Amino acid sequence: MLYALMGLGLSLITGVLNIPNFAHGALFAVGAYLLVSTVNVIGNFWLALLIAPIGVAILGLVIEYAGIRRLYSAGHDYQLLFTFGLALILSEAIIIVWGPVGYSHLPPPILRGGLDLGFTFYPKYRLFVMVVAGLLVAATWLFLEKTRYGAIMRAGIENKEMVSLLGIDIHKLFTVAFALGAYLAGIAGALTAPIRGLSPQMGVDMLGIAFVVVALGGLGNLLGAIAAGLLIGVAQAVVAAYWTEASTAVIFAVMAVVLLVRPQGLFGIR
Amino acid sequence: MSNSKRRKILKLGAATAALGFPAIIRAQPKEIVMLGIWPATGAFADVGPILDRGMKMALDERNMRILGRPIRYIVRDSATQAGAATRRVEEAVDGEGAKFVIGPWSSGVALAVSEVAKRKKVFHIFSGGTEDISGARCHRYSFQWAASPYTAAKTVVDNFMKANPKAKRWHLLVADYAFGWSVEKYIKEVGKTHGLEFVGADRHPLGEREFSNYVQKAAANRPDAVAMINFGLDAVSGAREIFNFGLTPKVPLIMTWSSGVEELVQLAPEIRENIWVGSNFYYTADTPVAKEFVKSYQGKFGSPPGYAPSAAYSMTRLTLAAMEKSKTGEVQDVVKAMEGIEVNDLLGRMRVDPATHQTIRPYFFMRCKPKSAMKHPMDFADIIATGDAPLPKEYAACKDIGGF
Repeated sequence: MLYALMGLGLSLITGVLNIPNFAHGALFAVGAYLLVSTVNVIGNFWLALLIAPIGVAILGLVIEYAGIRRLYSAGHDYQLLFTFGLALILSEAIIIVWGPVGYSHLPPPILRGGLDLGFTFYPKYRLFVMVVAGLLVAATWLFLEKTRYGAIMRAGIENKEMVSLLGIDIHKLFTVAFALGAYLAGIAGALTAPIRGLSPQMGVDMLGIAFVVVALGGLGNLLGAIAAGLLIGVAQAVVAAYWTEASTAVIFAVMAVVLLVRPQGLFGIR
Repeated sequence: MSNSKRRKILKLGAATAALGFPAIIRAQPKEIVMLGIWPATGAFADVGPILDRGMKMALDERNMRILGRPIRYIVRDSATQAGAATRRVEEAVDGEGAKFVIGPWSSGVALAVSEVAKRKKVFHIFSGGTEDISGARCHRYSFQWAASPYTAAKTVVDNFMKANPKAKRWHLLVADYAFGWSVEKYIKEVGKTHGLEFVGADRHPLGEREFSNYVQKAAANRPDAVAMINFGLDAVSGAREIFNFGLTPKVPLIMTWSSGVEELVQLAPEIRENIWVGSNFYYTADTPVAKEFVKSYQGKFGSPPGYAPSAAYSMTRLTLAAMEKSKTGEVQDVVKAMEGIEVNDLLGRMRVDPATHQTIRPYFFMRCKPKSAMKHPMDFADIIATGDAPLPKEYAACKDIGGF
């Protein structure tokens, strides 16, 4: 579900803004660090889980408004270089603010330990993450499908010129899409912190997987991102049960097989 | 001007020059170039800078001089890749005149660097978990500082079983490269003497961060103890996941070959509870050199040193001691001096086996403290035992160390 969350955010940005956001992994890491700092300040995990991703969304808003917006007319190379540079800057900023050494953050006491499900053991916190991430994916999907602004966003992915001609502020749409994508990366990072701990490079692995999800689902296809995220997660879990050593390689193997059969991805049309 | 007067003036001038400009008159002593091949990028990028610290500290103690000659310390990035590391070592040897190579940090990469040392006839010392440097692929130019995997396994298994005699069912999580295989082999060998049953042994790639699948399998096996044979962030990620699954603190976790401080600081005290740690160094080691080193390191960097900087520090000290013993600083003389050298140093009594180039030295076994027993944030564990049992002859794969 976390893969779906990350993939959905990245797909939204890729679809609406038509740029590959290499800073998506760094935003994921910022979400994790903000969660821990907020918990340290207010002492409440649940409140911190609400606040930290909003912080990342605001950061995304600033990035789009102050940086990416100025590069829409500059061409793809510049946008790509900008997000790549931004990823490096954010990683270094994490080291400056929080230090180079990684550390652990515990789940709230009520979610510590594992549950014996009869056929397997599973950590309570991971179950919680599955539920929350599932709800977030569903909420994002409903927002995009059932609200007027969601419809505008989907229209923006399909045809930006047409949306603009209809009198809709396309720049505002880009800003909101980037902030929403950043929010999804931020909350994925915040939810991940107690599972994987924190380190300045934590976003790098996740960025790779997020791009796999986006490519697998079809570039900019939101339903595809959700389906691909779930597919990758399930494939990884199934392979791990029988051949643990191949559980990471299977992510890329699935992508390679799908792209060989359907180069446009599962739900892609271009 | 008469001839005798002219000669007097020339003599006076020569004497003045000799007194005033001794460096011009005497030949400049030839510098000794030492290479630290440390990972600045790649899987162990976080360890490279602290390895560099340790080596620098040992060189600074000598004011960058040995046998009256200046030492030039150069560093290259091993990138934890055999190809990159060997290429950079060769360049440093050919281009910079490096004759003494210390590092790198990964066993697999070190084996490749060791081959370069053999071919280029330069001194090489390394610390890591592969048994091949002082085993099947031993040769005259490479030395191993870390305890033999057998010494580590024996210390860990014997002392853990002494404290937990009923914990007979073990599940192993093993890093899938030279170091993991070596330690796993001896854990299983020593385990036989205690009647251990290995209910599972999963191997994971270097750099693994998602351990839920491995831990799920471990939990399903319902072991009495889980033992990890991995290192660095792999070990930290594994320990965290084992806690998340609710295995620790109920089930003891053994970090067989840990960096100590650098890993333990990344785990919350709750996660560290009931973790047992084997390491090549722990900063509360009770030796005069360790105390002085730890004090100096803490003064400089604010935190106590773990295995990595201590290994770099001690390997450099050992190399310098061998250089001094050789009296020439020439590679082959230093190798001969190193063979059989015995010092009372960082870890206490340390001796280099001339037949295998393995350092015979204590290995540390610690138990992590519960949060309530910690006196300060860095008070992670108590050393409960040390062991220095050398590899028994029947396991020794280094049959002939060879010639130059």
